[in-house]
Amino acid sequence: MLPDPETIRSAARAAASELTGRSIKDSQKLVSSGLLDSLAVLKLISLLEKKLNIVIRPETLQPEDFDDVALIVETIERVGKARK
Amino acid sequence: MALNSLTYLGFLLVVVIAYWLLPVVLRRSLVMAASLAFYSSWNAIFLWVPLIVAGVVFVCGKYIQANPSAPRKWLLTGIGILLTLFVLFKYRLFVATNLGYFGVPLSRGPFSLASSLVFPMGISFYTLEAIAYLVDVRQVRVRIPSFVDLCLFFFFWPNILSGPIVRARELMPQLRFEKIFEPRFIFEGCDRIVWGLVQKNVIANMLGIWVDRGFASQPVGTFSTVDGWFLAIAFGLQVYFDFAGYTNLAIGTARLIGIMLPENFRHPYHAASPADFWSRWHITLSRWIRDYLFFPMNAKWKGAPLPLYLSLVGAMALVGLWHGAEWGFLLWGTMHGVYLAVYRLYESWRRGDSPAKGSHLSAGLWRVVTLVAVTTAWVPFRALSLAQAGSILGSMFSRFTWRLEYSGLFYGITVAVALFAAVEPLVMRALAEVDEEAAAAGLSMFRIIVRPVAYLFGLMLFLLFDQNYSQFIYSQF
Repeated sequence: MLPDPETIRSAARAAASELTGRSIKDSQKLVSSGLLDSLAVLKLISLLEKKLNIVIRPETLQPEDFDDVALIVETIERVGKARK
Repeated sequence: MALNSLTYLGFLLVVVIAYWLLPVVLRRSLVMAASLAFYSSWNAIFLWVPLIVAGVVFVCGKYIQANPSAPRKWLLTGIGILLTLFVLFKYRLFVATNLGYFGVPLSRGPFSLASSLVFPMGISFYTLEAIAYLVDVRQVRVRIPSFVDLCLFFFFWPNILSGPIVRARELMPQLRFEKIFEPRFIFEGCDRIVWGLVQKNVIANMLGIWVDRGFASQPVGTFSTVDGWFLAIAFGLQVYFDFAGYTNLAIGTARLIGIMLPENFRHPYHAASPADFWSRWHITLSRWIRDYLFFPMNAKWKGAPLPLYLSLVGAMALVGLWHGAEWGFLLWGTMHGVYLAVYRLYESWRRGDSPAKGSHLSAGLWRVVTLVAVTTAWVPFRALSLAQAGSILGSMFSRFTWRLEYSGLFYGITVAVALFAAVEPLVMRALAEVDEEAAAAGLSMFRIIVRPVAYLFGLMLFLLFDQNYSQFIYSQF
């Protein structure tokens, strides 16, 4: 089972902060503002997989699916799977 | 009907007045009619091509939409048809000629030079939009509308020729044309159009005359170091002001009827790194490559180094070929791919830190290196042959001679335009601040007097420099 939305939210905040080197607010745009490029988004996905012990299959995703914390939560709820 | 012509400005005036006078229900028909008339003015015989593209997206999209989790058969069929059409029009002579070197006699009959020179305007741009549309339907981001609405999306005249490359989810909702008239649409649209005309007709065309002479006049092996560098810099500035000028005309045209198109440029020669350059140059193409090619490819390998570097070079080589069937374009794209791979290697060596986070020296060095690298890559992009490109690059980097072959005016104009490009962000920021203050104060002196005077001055410049040399560089792609 996937972690609850609040756990995903705080993991997303922590992962985005780790990659950008600054504290990230929920409303902060990450990709469209240029804070994260496509490679950083791939790293973000790996970090989230580790932190939440889940698997994300990003083949059907686009970087802008990770544009802010709320979108990250929504994306993980849509395509994330708990690791067996 | 070129965007920088008096005929187009007359056409635009009539369409915009009619658009705002008509009730909402009739606006769609007006825009469709205007779009068909505009595209027909370029090449009416190819009107069927965007129609076929819309048809392919409609049919395949409907099947994908009906069952998005089914195998990718309809997605691949759609992309296959779109790419076949694109390749047939753009690359048949290139393929035939190069097969000819290996003794395969294909460069006759249907592969004749004459047939290869004519191709449907904008096909490079709307093919990418169509592929993105199908992928977005597959990823359940958009739905397939009626066939007429889909045609409107592909034929929409402000961006059909050379972009910006729009995504369905940003343009389709706006094509309901429900906005109520606001004076700011006209101000914003005219700002972009007048500035676009000045960028194209005054700056780009002026440089273009010298660049054309420079590349056409000297035999291979005779360029001096100074002339090599000046030609490369002048072309870099010409292509920027030419394409940015076109983009401003496209965005401004759409703005006049209340439609927002995405931006394509953000002062690219101020880039802090090769990666930053591609977030500032032809932004909508970079975004397409990122979303539909680079990201899915690397997502599969989770950003592993070898696939990453190979995909960077491969994707950029394709970007080069997308511009046209020339070895020079392929070399230009490959050079950018190598720049990006080297930059990513540097980043991984610094454990993910961008140069901007390093010392002032390293950040400054990357800015200079990026500018030099981008300027160098323009040489094969513009050169008449690979031999000429090699000769100019040789004069720039190894065969140092200091002769000046051209008139002093050429060197003076190039330096002046380069200085303008250097301060352009500051000028734009200052103008935006003045405009914001004027908007906050209602109808201030700026809006009543300064703006119309600026428009008049810009239009006078456009007319003064309205020479025959008017084709946009990117309209050839």
